[in-house]
Amino acid sequence: MPLREVRLAQARAQIAALASAPASSGEVLAFGDARVDGRLPGGGLTLGCWHELAGEGLELETAAAPAAFAACLARPMARRGEIVWVLRRDDLYAPGLAGLGFPAERLIQVCARDEAEALAVIEDALRTPGVWAVFGEAEGVGLVEGRRLQLACERGSAAGFILRRRPYGGRPLRTAGSAAATRWRIAAAPSEPAPGETGLGPPRWRVALERCRGGRTGAWLMEAWEDQDAAHPFRVVAELADRGLAAEAPLRRAG
Amino acid sequence: MQLPFALIAADRGVRRLYAADAAAQALGLYPGQKATDAVALVPELATADADPAGDLAALNALADWCVRFSPAVAPDPPDGLFLDITGAAHLWGGERAMLDDLLDRLAAAGVPARGAVAGSAGAAFALARFGMDRTVAETGEEAAVTAFLPTAALRLGPEDAAQLARLGLSRIGQLVALPRDQLARRFGAQTLLRLDQALGRAPEALAFRRPPTPWFARLAFAEPISAPEDLGRVAGDITALLCRRLEAEGRGAGRFELAFHRLDGRSERLSVGLSLPGRRSAPIVRLFAPLLEKVDPGFGIEAATLVAERVEPLAERQTSLETLGEIAPEDGIGPLIDRIANRLGEARVWRAEPFASHIPERAVVRRPPFAPRAAGDWDRGRPRPVRLLRRPEPIEAAAPIPDDPPIFFRWRGQLRRVRRAEGPERLAEEWWRQPPGQTSPSEVRDYYRVEDETGARYWIFRAGLYGGAAPPKWWLHGLFG
Repeated sequence: MPLREVRLAQARAQIAALASAPASSGEVLAFGDARVDGRLPGGGLTLGCWHELAGEGLELETAAAPAAFAACLARPMARRGEIVWVLRRDDLYAPGLAGLGFPAERLIQVCARDEAEALAVIEDALRTPGVWAVFGEAEGVGLVEGRRLQLACERGSAAGFILRRRPYGGRPLRTAGSAAATRWRIAAAPSEPAPGETGLGPPRWRVALERCRGGRTGAWLMEAWEDQDAAHPFRVVAELADRGLAAEAPLRRAG
Repeated sequence: MQLPFALIAADRGVRRLYAADAAAQALGLYPGQKATDAVALVPELATADADPAGDLAALNALADWCVRFSPAVAPDPPDGLFLDITGAAHLWGGERAMLDDLLDRLAAAGVPARGAVAGSAGAAFALARFGMDRTVAETGEEAAVTAFLPTAALRLGPEDAAQLARLGLSRIGQLVALPRDQLARRFGAQTLLRLDQALGRAPEALAFRRPPTPWFARLAFAEPISAPEDLGRVAGDITALLCRRLEAEGRGAGRFELAFHRLDGRSERLSVGLSLPGRRSAPIVRLFAPLLEKVDPGFGIEAATLVAERVEPLAERQTSLETLGEIAPEDGIGPLIDRIANRLGEARVWRAEPFASHIPERAVVRRPPFAPRAAGDWDRGRPRPVRLLRRPEPIEAAAPIPDDPPIFFRWRGQLRRVRRAEGPERLAEEWWRQPPGQTSPSEVRDYYRVEDETGARYWIFRAGLYGGAAPPKWWLHGLFG
C-alpha cells in the first residue's frame, strides 16, 4: 500500500528530526581547557539544553558541592541576563554565592513546596525570554519531564542546571534514563593552599562527566580560580581515571 | 400570622428590648423597654438574645455584597450603609434606577431596608431614616429636603438631642434658622458640625471598607452565567475594559481584584498581583485563568466587577536602538515572577540583598524581585558557606587545645577528621539589640572553616568560651561544598 508507506516514511522522518541532536542555539560555555572541552560536543557545555548535577553520599541530601560548582560554572552567564534558582529547602546562602564571584543580588530565588511544583516552575522559567540560566533542585527528572524541560530550554534558549537533591533521610530515587544533555557528579576534593600559606586553598572538586550526548565521558580535578574576573571559572588541576570515583564511594560510606 | 419578634440584651443587669420588628412595634413595644414589661403586654412575643458582633459581621457581609453597586461602601453600625455612588449611577441609567435596583434586590433577599440618595452623607442618612423612602435629592437642595425632618436625624449624642428637645427644637429647619454663633455656644461644636455635614457644608470622612477608586469596571449580564468558558470570557472582557482605560490615562496597576456576584447575593473574589505595574490585559487574564476553576457559580452569576489597585503612572515604553535586541523585564522575567508569585505566594519568590550585620542569619534580607536595590555590597572578604542550615546542628567535636579548631568531629553519625582549618572568626552578639545587662559571653561564637579528609568543607562554630560557667558547645552551621 503506497499511501501507508508514504505515511510511515513521514513518521520516520519526524522521529529522526526529533531524535537528532537538540536544536540549540549552538552557543557553548567553554571550560577553557582542551582536556574538558574536547570531550563535550561543540567544545563546551551547550546552552539551550539542560544538565544534571548530582553529589554523592550525604551530598545527595545537602547538594552543597553541586550548588557551589554550578554557581561557578554559570558565573559568566550571570552577567548577561536573569538567573533563577528554584529551591526545595531554602538553605541557599547568598553571601556564600557572592564569595564565589556569583552576582547573588541579581539571583531570583523561588522556594517550591513539592517536586511537581518545582519542576513546573523550572520549566516555566526556562521558557521565559530574558532568562539565561535556571538552577533547579529536584529529586529526579523522569523521561517525560526531562523532555518537557528540553523543549522549554530550546524555546527560551536558556540553560538548565538540575541539582539532584533528595529529602533528608529519604531514599534515593531511581530514574530510568534521563533526557539531560550531560550528567555530572560533583564531589568536594581536598584543597591545596598556595605554598607558604596556611588554612584552606581555593575550593576543589572532583568532577565526573558520567553521561554526555554526542561526546565522551571523563573525570577531572578542578579548582575555582581565585581571580573571580577570570574568563573561565575553573582551572583543571588533573585528569582523573574514570573509574576512580565509583570504586571509592562505597568504601567511604562504610567507614 | 407572624408572631411579633424582639431581641433582648442585658443592660446594667436589666433585660431590655434591643430591637423589635414591625409587628411588635405595632403592638406598642419599643427598644429600651424592659423585657418583663414587654412580655406582660404581649404574651405571644417571640424573643432571642441580641448578638451585636453577629450583626456587625452581617453588616460587613452586606457591605461586601454592595460592592456590585459601587466599590466604595462604608458600613455605619449598627444598621446603616453608605455607598459613594459618584460616577457609578450612570451604569444603571440614573440615581433613581440604581436606588430602586438596590432596594428591590434587598427586599427580594428578605432584608427590609430603606434608602435615599443625597449630595451629602448626613442628608442621605436623615432622608433614609426619617424622610420618605427612596427619596432622591439633588445636590444643593439638602437644606430644603431636610428642613422638616426631626432633629434626631442629625446623628447627635443623647445629651445634645435631649437638650434640643427640651428647648422645643424638633425640626432641622428650626436649627438652621438660628444664628450660628448662638447655636455653637449653646449646643457645642459637634451639633454644628453634624448640621453642616447634613447640609453638605462640611466634609465628612467615611470609613470605607475599601478606599474609593476610580479604577473600577463592571459587567452585568441579562441572563445569569455559570459555564467555565463564559467566566473566562467575562474575565477577559472586563480586564480589557479596565486596561483600555488605564492605557488611555497612562497608568498601570499592581493588583487586580475580580469579583463574580452570584444570584444568591454571595460573591466569589479572585485577586492577582503584578510585580511590575502593568496594563496589558492578556498576561493579567492568564493569571486569572487558573483561579477561575475554583469559582463556584452557584445558581448563576449576574454581574462581575474588577477593581485595579496600586495604580500608578506608567510611561509608554519606547524601543531605542540600544535596547532593540534586549528583552525588557516587562516582557520576560516580570510575567514569570507574576505567575510564580500568584501560584506559590509572594513570599516564595525573592531576591537576596546584603544587610549590614555580622550575624550570619541576619546578613541577608529577602526583597521582592523588583524592589529598588539598596546600596551596599556583599562582604566578600570573609568566607561564607553556600548552604546555611536553617538552625545549626549540634556536633560532637574533640578540640584538645582551647581556642583551636577540633581535630575530629561527628556530624550525622559520621566521624570526620579535620585536615585543614581556618579561623577563628569571632562573632559576638549584637549587644545594641539587647536590653542592657542581657548580653553574655556564652553567646560568643568562634567560627572555623574546616576541611575533612574527603575535601568536604564545613562551617562550624563553638558557642561560649572556655572557663565559663557552662562548657562550650560545638555546632555545624553551613556547608561550603
